[in-house]
Amino acid sequence: METKIGVFLCNCGGAIKNIDFDAAVKKVAKFPGVTCVNLSSDLCLEEGKKKMISCIRGENIERVVVAACSPEFQEHILREVLEKAGLNGHLLSMANIREQCSWTHDGDVTEKAVELVKMAVNRVRLLQPMEKKELPVNREVLVVGGGFSASNTALQLSRVGLRTTLLEKEAVLGAGTEELESFYGFDTGSMISAVEVDKNIEVLTSAQMTEVGGKIGDFSVRIRQEGGEILRKYGAIVLATGHQTELALDSEPQLRAEDEAISGLNIVSQEQFCCMLGNSGLETEPKTIGFMFDFSDENSRFTTLATLNNALEAKKKWGSEIYVFCKNVKVDSEGMEKLYREARDCGVVFLKSEAPPRITAENGRVKIEAKDVFLGEDVILACDVLVAEELYLPAEGAENLSSLLSIRRDSKGFFQDENVHLYPVGSEKKGVFFIGGCRGDLDLGRVLTDISSVVMKVHELLSSGKILVELEKVKADPQKCVACLTCIRVCPHGAIQLVRVDGSKEVAEISDLACDACGICAAICPAKAIKFQGYRDEEILAQIEAIQEL
Amino acid sequence: MNGCIVAFCCEHSAYPAADLAGKLRLHYPENIRVIRVPCAGRVDVIHILKALEKGAAAVLVLGCEDGACHHITGNTRAKERVKYCNMLLKEVQIDGRPVAMFNLSPNAPHKFVSAVNEITKIIKESGR
Amino acid sequence: MIIAERKPMEEIKQAMAPYKKVLVAGCGTCVAVCWAGGEKEVEILASQLRLARSAEGNEIVTLEATVERQCEKEMVEELKDKVAEVEAVLSLACGSGVQTMAELFEDKPVFPAVNTTFIGMPEKEGLWVEMCGACGDCVLDRTGGICPIVRCAKGLLNGPCGGTRKGGKCEIDPEKDCAWVLIYRRLEKQGRLDLMREYYSPRNFRAVKRPGRVQAVKA
Repeated sequence: METKIGVFLCNCGGAIKNIDFDAAVKKVAKFPGVTCVNLSSDLCLEEGKKKMISCIRGENIERVVVAACSPEFQEHILREVLEKAGLNGHLLSMANIREQCSWTHDGDVTEKAVELVKMAVNRVRLLQPMEKKELPVNREVLVVGGGFSASNTALQLSRVGLRTTLLEKEAVLGAGTEELESFYGFDTGSMISAVEVDKNIEVLTSAQMTEVGGKIGDFSVRIRQEGGEILRKYGAIVLATGHQTELALDSEPQLRAEDEAISGLNIVSQEQFCCMLGNSGLETEPKTIGFMFDFSDENSRFTTLATLNNALEAKKKWGSEIYVFCKNVKVDSEGMEKLYREARDCGVVFLKSEAPPRITAENGRVKIEAKDVFLGEDVILACDVLVAEELYLPAEGAENLSSLLSIRRDSKGFFQDENVHLYPVGSEKKGVFFIGGCRGDLDLGRVLTDISSVVMKVHELLSSGKILVELEKVKADPQKCVACLTCIRVCPHGAIQLVRVDGSKEVAEISDLACDACGICAAICPAKAIKFQGYRDEEILAQIEAIQEL
Repeated sequence: MNGCIVAFCCEHSAYPAADLAGKLRLHYPENIRVIRVPCAGRVDVIHILKALEKGAAAVLVLGCEDGACHHITGNTRAKERVKYCNMLLKEVQIDGRPVAMFNLSPNAPHKFVSAVNEITKIIKESGR
Repeated sequence: MIIAERKPMEEIKQAMAPYKKVLVAGCGTCVAVCWAGGEKEVEILASQLRLARSAEGNEIVTLEATVERQCEKEMVEELKDKVAEVEAVLSLACGSGVQTMAELFEDKPVFPAVNTTFIGMPEKEGLWVEMCGACGDCVLDRTGGICPIVRCAKGLLNGPCGGTRKGGKCEIDPEKDCAWVLIYRRLEKQGRLDLMREYYSPRNFRAVKRPGRVQAVKA
């Protein structure tokens, strides 16, 4: 018995003028299996939906085709309409006769519209119902790190009712907050106290992850501490492991100090300069200070910010003469343009040069030489302290974390590739997130945004203690699977594992929670064992069959 | 099939780009049939070959820009498969019909339109 | 597992030239896993043949079928009805499978579509490397588990030839590692370098009398 297919066409409130709907209805009614064709003008409105439901019920329709606007709009809504009519929501296929037909072609497009409907009819005939289920998930969150980002994430997660474990590899929390304290008057001590008294936060110090398994909602993490190993389960993992810096002078040959005597000189990092500023016991206040940035790393937002803050502080504190050598001053963060003006108004001098300055020693002071673009001449500066350019890198241990979690890193080693689809805080693995320095976000504004984003996402995922999934949307048939491991190796989301079925045979199992429904595994399976509901080979080929076969 | 292009469009980039082309009323030739896929990486060689067997004048796979695939490796795999498919066709001397991959972002309707126009032109010039 | 590689298309086309209806038969075991002759490859090859022959004006009808293991008589027998309908069979199985098909369906010409190359394993996605030559006289005990017969280009049994390139690469093929460098390093890790000082007399390459026969103990 042929499956009864109902086709619903919509003329978008009468706005679609270049399709002869009457002719289309007649043609569509002849397609095999189509028992009912309806023309509506308002399928997106309550009225239109009500009519659809009563038609489905009245005509005992088993599969539905809707020819209207783009599925990007209406598909999920129409699935609910099917459910209301007593049909499984997945038994729907749409034909895009508006955005991809009526609106983009001149003249009468009835023929194309009818063909698009036929493609959808061919597909819908093969669709299988899919069950949805709420799977229980673990509500606890693991936050790796112990600095500003990690601690504040834990505090905010606690505020939305989620319990967190803060996992810090050092013996104490609060590493890397010197610049925050110096620039923003931040109080690390009170942050740590807040974390320690919070009943929802468990702090593990001198602790590291050694093994991670499982998937979103159910990660198993092995943690090594002094005195042993523990095994814990978490619903989500957040990495907030921060960054480290390296003086560009050491690594970039063109910036390498030419004189051996350089090593005894005052060439410091921004962090060291902050300490100097904070050191009330400083022997001599530097009278002339040089800063350098934007030569070896064009992504210099944070160095620029640090320079502006430090320069202003130094001016206030010591009244020194300050010269900044740079290629460009990039002020693409909130408040930076204002800071820049303030610095210039205070008398900080900015010198633009194309090539990195030459650094040498002269009489125990640092000599910087660079050709200023505007003056067109060489500028030679002898200064007491040079705050050199730094390279920003992810903190130590990033490589290890990356392999533990099977997460990619970008070319500089930071997590989160700047893939716009995963941006800003997600990873290719569901349930694993990144914040702040470890993903290259180094200024406070962005870090705060990261924290809020992650807390929101994790709250959305885990708070109810369950996640709704479509069961077996993508499934490896255990009869056909030969455990060749190809799908496991290619899944970009780490959603496939080898499991034992029937006591002996090993087959691939795709996790409904972790799967992101891309179909890469389905395409590559050498045994054609993986079925992706809605996009199986037959469902795709059936659409091709319909083309120009009217 | 006279001069029909079968275009596999990924739902994260090409499909919304095609929709946007519609919203902006950008016009392109009528002889294109879009098949929506969850990722360009879902498109397999046999889908392309069967489309050609059916008589398609060209087959396109459209996915996310390099480095911006929602599923990380889908667009790279699609590109490799398209290359492989072209090799298979060359082996049997059926390489007159374009099989090509295009990368675009969801907010680039003009890229979708120019891909369709470019391929339509090639088809017309080869006399199909 | 057995690694095979599809034959050049010219050879296949030529083999199929006289026929108008053929069965393209795949195998779901080794050749499927190494992407040479499984269900997907059957589909693709059949499609290529149809496209090519259609363009020539000499259509070919192809039936497609894949059995779990083409070297098992019982499984190949399942194809009986399909074979009866065709003029010839194009088999994508390894040599063993092709011959099983040929033996069961003696009246039909059976053609191989792949070349069976070696016993190997995946090194990385899509890349299979030779590990074992089925020589019948395994020496892996003395070489730390690395086979010098097939992984050394010269099949040497008593240490490197002396032509090893920089970086431990083979003199004959600079893309390949010198097997004896690998063996040395492996034995070093295991503290068994003394094995390298043992001299092995010339090998009897007729250890396996062709065609080979192995009788396992009946259970």
